[in-house]
Amino acid sequence: MAHRETNGSKLFITVLCMVAACSAVPINDLLDRASQRSDMLHSLSTTLTKDLSNHVPPVGWTMMPRPPLCHTSSLQTPNDKEQALQLSESDLMSLARSLLQAWQDPLVDLSNSANSLLHPSQSSISNKIRELQEHSKSLGDGLDILSGKMGPAAQAISSLPYRGSNDIGEDNISKLTNFHFLLSCFRRDSHKIDSFLKVLRCRAAKVQPEMC
Amino acid sequence: MWRDLGLAVLVLLSAAVESNSTSPPGKPVLLSCRSPEKETFTCWWEPGSDGGLPTTYRLYYERERLEGVHECPDYWSAGSNSCFFNKTHTLIWVDYYLTVVASNALGNATSDIFKMDVMEIMKPNVPENVTLLVVETEDSPYLHIRWEHPRNTDTESGWVTIKYELRIKQEKNNKWKEYMSGTQSHFSLYSIAPGGVYTVQVRCKLDHGSWSEWTNSTNVKVPNYVQNERSFWILVATLSAIPFMAAMCTLIVKRENVKQCVLPPVPGPKIRGVDFHLLMSGQSEDSTNALIINQNFPLIVGWKDQMEEYLIVTENDIGPPSDASHCQKRKKSLIIPAGFCSDWEIQCKSTHIQNDCAGGTKNETGNFPKNNKSLSGESLSYMEPSKLQKQQCLGQNFVNTEATDPSPLNYDNAVKPFTNSGYVDIRKHVENTQEVNVKQVDYSRVEDVNGDNVFILNNKNLAFNSSGYMDFQRQEEKLSEDYSRVKEVGSNNVVVLQIQDMSADTKNPHATGAHKMGVCTELINSEYIDTIPAPPLM
Repeated sequence: MAHRETNGSKLFITVLCMVAACSAVPINDLLDRASQRSDMLHSLSTTLTKDLSNHVPPVGWTMMPRPPLCHTSSLQTPNDKEQALQLSESDLMSLARSLLQAWQDPLVDLSNSANSLLHPSQSSISNKIRELQEHSKSLGDGLDILSGKMGPAAQAISSLPYRGSNDIGEDNISKLTNFHFLLSCFRRDSHKIDSFLKVLRCRAAKVQPEMC
Repeated sequence: MWRDLGLAVLVLLSAAVESNSTSPPGKPVLLSCRSPEKETFTCWWEPGSDGGLPTTYRLYYERERLEGVHECPDYWSAGSNSCFFNKTHTLIWVDYYLTVVASNALGNATSDIFKMDVMEIMKPNVPENVTLLVVETEDSPYLHIRWEHPRNTDTESGWVTIKYELRIKQEKNNKWKEYMSGTQSHFSLYSIAPGGVYTVQVRCKLDHGSWSEWTNSTNVKVPNYVQNERSFWILVATLSAIPFMAAMCTLIVKRENVKQCVLPPVPGPKIRGVDFHLLMSGQSEDSTNALIINQNFPLIVGWKDQMEEYLIVTENDIGPPSDASHCQKRKKSLIIPAGFCSDWEIQCKSTHIQNDCAGGTKNETGNFPKNNKSLSGESLSYMEPSKLQKQQCLGQNFVNTEATDPSPLNYDNAVKPFTNSGYVDIRKHVENTQEVNVKQVDYSRVEDVNGDNVFILNNKNLAFNSSGYMDFQRQEEKLSEDYSRVKEVGSNNVVVLQIQDMSADTKNPHATGAHKMGVCTELINSEYIDTIPAPPLM
């Protein structure tokens, strides 16, 4: 009886400690982790687009027929340093989360099309897409926790609906072209997320200049 | 010579004629654009042929989220055939569509559209101020490399993340070794060869853009330092080797001792006093002797804890003594009264001898009635003449004397086999210088025994030679209280003494060392009598 009681009390204390430890993780640390993950995300997407463009003949774009816009282009994001630095932390966090959220479904599409892609390095592309999905998921979870600590403004997410790729044709070239287009959109958005989080990290760690 | 001149002039004229044909400019080509810090960017083009006419080049761009076509804001800051977009005109994460138009008097030429996004064209400047330092520590020196971030790059707001890479090569090798430094602007290289010359180059990149160019090589020479340390350690090793060798030699030379010390021989089982080897060799007598001796059997000769001398009284025809129930205890110890000196010349001192059978009554002499007549020393000198004399008359303490006596074996001839009842053998001592005509007149009969070992002699039987009585009387006058003559020996360890009433005046010249005689009537089963000597009356 006494043995059981001590076991129970020990368990309780352990749980308490864990909870206390969890809540005691500082925001700086969380931000650092999130930045690292977004950095990895962006790196992966960059590599992917480079791999893809090695074998896709560059399509000459013209202004007229208007080039297609990324489905996230409706989101108002800063486009230069001054604009970005003027944003509040909550806005930055909200933007990052919205962008990330917007890419959940398209990544699924990308993953599906990667399986049937006609490309010399199709398997590696397919693997990388899956990695992208994983990183994106874990980053989203981390940002959820972070935003929870930052207040309700940070938790606001703009909805950016994805209507699917209308232009995905049946032929391989158009498939490839669309694939490439989606990936480039993703690369841009991942870069945005990475930049916003790094600005946030630098701002939160003023006492640690090596963070910037 | 004049003909050569004429030919040259003709060639020149024809060339001049040909150049007169102009054409519209050739198509320029946009080469690349570059943003060094994610805030501005520059684009370069390559002009086509100018068509023989002065040609102007204009760059026009369209941009996402911007209406209209715009022209390059700055053609000169970045050099010829370039367009520099400053911070105001630079937006990131938007697509730019660039074209260059070359125009001359005859026409225009437009380049292909060049689509670009600032995030794709990031390429920083080279890092700056690369410094090398050889840091000398106690263990080994290392190379410490430092540099600074590239010019104009913002490292304070977190807008850009700079990652560095460096490569090092030794002077002899031609092979570069590359190291990632991450975001740190310093690097340490360990395990460098002393005396070598190292060349270092550094480059960097922004976010996940393109790498910058390598910096110019920076060289450093590592000084030769190691020799001192090595010689020091060699000295230490040599010095410590000498005592070590000495110790080893000692151990080897003295290995037997070492073996003895470290691995002592295990003692085998051993019985004290028994020689194991002798036992094993099968010599039975020795072994049995050894076994017997070592077991400490009480020697038959050894029971003389209370007595030094023993009394042998031989009696030829006397039957078993009368019963005396007083002395119940049988002690196989011998008490010799001091007074029993057959040799009258020897003066003996008697001491108290404890009578164990009476429970340690030392003063037995007091129990003797004073009217006991002492027997003559002669008659009662029943011990072996020589030996007992010596023993009796030695010193005061009886205890000493008898201990040295080896065995009762000496008295074998004096002791006749006793019956179980225990009688006293009284030997007649014939040293009397007087008349030898002594019959068996030396016997006295103990009439009664009182209490503890008290003899009451019977004076009645005086049917003895007068000579004996003479002696007795003589003695008796003086020593009437001291001696008693054994009258009779009864059964049950009773000696009946005779009390003499003679009052002869003859003196026994020998009766000098007169003593009282205390006789304990404890007759033992064997040949000994316990007697209690009286203290001497000196």
